[in-house]
Amino acid sequence: MGEVIWVDAQAMGPENSVGQKIRRLVREAGALHGIDAGARVALKINAAEEGYEYGLRPVFLRTVAEAAAEVTGQVPTLCDGLKLVDYWRRMSGSSFMDVVSRGGYSSDTLGGNFVINGGFSGDEGNIYPCGDADTVLGGVEVGAAVCRSDWVWVLAHVTLHPLFGLSGALVNGGFECLVGRERTRVLAGVNPYVFNGVRPDPRALSGLRRRALEGHLGVRQALEGRLFYVNYAWDVTPQPEYFPFSHPPVGPSQGFLASRDPVALDAVTFDVLAESAFPGGRAAVEGAREAVEELLSLAEELGLGSRTHTLRRLS
Amino acid sequence: MSEPKCEPTKWHELSAPVEGDRENYQKRSWNPVKHTWGPFTQKGPAPVWFADANATNWTESMIAKTKDLFYEAKLNECFDKGDEVAIKIHYGEWNRTAVLRPEYIAAIVEEVRACGGHPYVVNDTTLSYHIFNSMAYSNYQMEGAIRHGYTSATFKCPVIVADGFSGEDDYRVELPEGLILKETYIGRAVAEADAMIVIAHARGHAITMYGGVLKQLGIGCQSKRGKYITHLAHWGDPHDAIGWPKFTDQCPGKACKFHEMCDNSCPRQAHRVLEHGKEWYPERCRLCYSCQVTCIFSGMGGITFEENYFPNAMIAHADAALGAMKCFERGKVGFINCAIDVVPECDCFPWANKAICPDVGILASKDLVALEEATLDLIDQAPVSPGSVAEEKGCKVGDDKFRVVNGFSPRITMAAAEKIGLGTRQYQLIHHEPVLTPENAAKWQIRPDQPTTVRLRETFHRNDLATEVMPFRRAAYNKEWVWNEWKKFDPFKGEPVG
Repeated sequence: MGEVIWVDAQAMGPENSVGQKIRRLVREAGALHGIDAGARVALKINAAEEGYEYGLRPVFLRTVAEAAAEVTGQVPTLCDGLKLVDYWRRMSGSSFMDVVSRGGYSSDTLGGNFVINGGFSGDEGNIYPCGDADTVLGGVEVGAAVCRSDWVWVLAHVTLHPLFGLSGALVNGGFECLVGRERTRVLAGVNPYVFNGVRPDPRALSGLRRRALEGHLGVRQALEGRLFYVNYAWDVTPQPEYFPFSHPPVGPSQGFLASRDPVALDAVTFDVLAESAFPGGRAAVEGAREAVEELLSLAEELGLGSRTHTLRRLS
Repeated sequence: MSEPKCEPTKWHELSAPVEGDRENYQKRSWNPVKHTWGPFTQKGPAPVWFADANATNWTESMIAKTKDLFYEAKLNECFDKGDEVAIKIHYGEWNRTAVLRPEYIAAIVEEVRACGGHPYVVNDTTLSYHIFNSMAYSNYQMEGAIRHGYTSATFKCPVIVADGFSGEDDYRVELPEGLILKETYIGRAVAEADAMIVIAHARGHAITMYGGVLKQLGIGCQSKRGKYITHLAHWGDPHDAIGWPKFTDQCPGKACKFHEMCDNSCPRQAHRVLEHGKEWYPERCRLCYSCQVTCIFSGMGGITFEENYFPNAMIAHADAALGAMKCFERGKVGFINCAIDVVPECDCFPWANKAICPDVGILASKDLVALEEATLDLIDQAPVSPGSVAEEKGCKVGDDKFRVVNGFSPRITMAAAEKIGLGTRQYQLIHHEPVLTPENAAKWQIRPDQPTTVRLRETFHRNDLATEVMPFRRAAYNKEWVWNEWKKFDPFKGEPVG
């Protein structure tokens, strides 16, 4: 049974600002337990595509980076893989870094060194088996910044997702940590840019979801389980960060949730979103429910965690 | 105190060549070699532009002259509008003081952008080189780069480690033309660029004797694997110490106060200190220099280099430079040498000795060999700096300074580079002396179109901050002391004049 801590967006005050809430979440959720001085911590974040304007403010991530630096005495790595820009824009490490910088993300603002997970090409990594489960992929290639670290904290900007229903801990801690060519293999021809008339074949989506979650198994193997997840339920837009645009958020920002169990965390996160959606955003959230249900069931089936959870809510 | 006992190094002989997964590397990647690559100079001497290090007015600022040379040498023609342009520099080791000031790099980034290119600054990871290396691991390298002022904020463009998080984001490049190497590995941020401007700090080097633009290609553009192969890892027999460190049997073992540093110097645990000597497993070694540098620079003599290693390595790094050039079409790479702080050793050293000569200036060309020859000649013709290692070793004006200081002539590299088609050693030196005109004075200023003074007029018109508090309080002061007393004191002698 997974334990989920939720620090909500209520009761703001001089002693309870957003930064203080995030610090409290990291502390209360036990992120710092078991991490030794000198450990290399990588924070997997979302670096938005050009045109997506609802990215997390750098200080939200910096606060966590500072907590990691404090416990390890090391400058943490913050990373994200090259977006699937081969479909959208030219894939290049330099243009990716340009876009990241224009979004206000840099080593100056993030409290650690920002690198591309997978290097300039996005393809630097190592192959890890997906574990003992009966998997389609067998093994996956995990990006170097992730698999060469001692710990990975997955800091997911929660959004809806056209393929997975929800972009949270499960997607960001798995599919998003893989090298570019591995993600292409996971997609297996499914176009993730669901706009301009593109509509993926619904029959292909179940297989895609399963393969993406198998990727998460590979990441877990790479880190030998040293993963911690934070879901930022903040500016939850209908489109994920790799889209070059977004509609406004589907509901009010609900705060921050954390757990060591990505299944429990995503399950709680989606419940929170569903209960709080704006009237105008409810349809989008409900439209994602079926995909999220399938994602969570598959994740449970693969042993990534449990939907059964305890929830501790803090303000 | 009795001499420590030194027992012969205990060898674990290499039974067979080390095998890896060579055949599976890059199976699914494209080979970046450009069919139109080739030396820029087709015939005759190559033009090399030079601006000396003196400056007495706006136009003669070293930064302004660097920008001038960018256009004089037509480096702006190395790329087209929209091209991704790698700006190759050296990020510098932690605690290194003689690195290029960020302004030189920013100056070129600004002009690449002004000409429509998309610049990004790159450097590859290094091998370990020494025990406290900060450049072998990309996270540390970025911390060091930031400490030197090399950031996206100072350059206004991405600052990237070219070969990825661990130094294996690279391409294999075949080198049938190589004198020693037949292949090398180039960092992908270099290999995938459309064009490249190489900005080198021209100074000495412990292995290649001198390091300028060719070194930036021959080592600086190589990924970790490229650097291992360029170091000639596993060339020859371990006993000839060409592709392995040389164990001298002069190691006092645990009697050496640096023995723990020595043990920790190898990332692959290829050697181990014994009670009175060393134990050595050549098959684990990939020749990163870490043990040699740690031993030599702690003043010990247990692990060193075979003397013949150096010319071999110099020629190999010319081959490796060719590997980098083959990733670009002919004429798509421009070169700048900054002969400033001409110190004896590389920027990968965590210290800097005194410069062997005064600052020489900036040189630019599209022919890298011509540029290197011109740079070496100008450095050789420069005065010897008092108190430098060059003076200590009896170097005179006109001597091959780096041969005197570091042991071999860097012309060995240049001859190899010319032989494999990297360029020509013949050059025509063109002195660039900017003319002081109002236009030239304004050209490279922060706001060329509007003098700051004119801008301040507007500010002062709205808020005349000085007049607002006037009159300043003025009181009588001792004019005798202020006007005359200081003239009576000789600051050099520390006593009254006369």
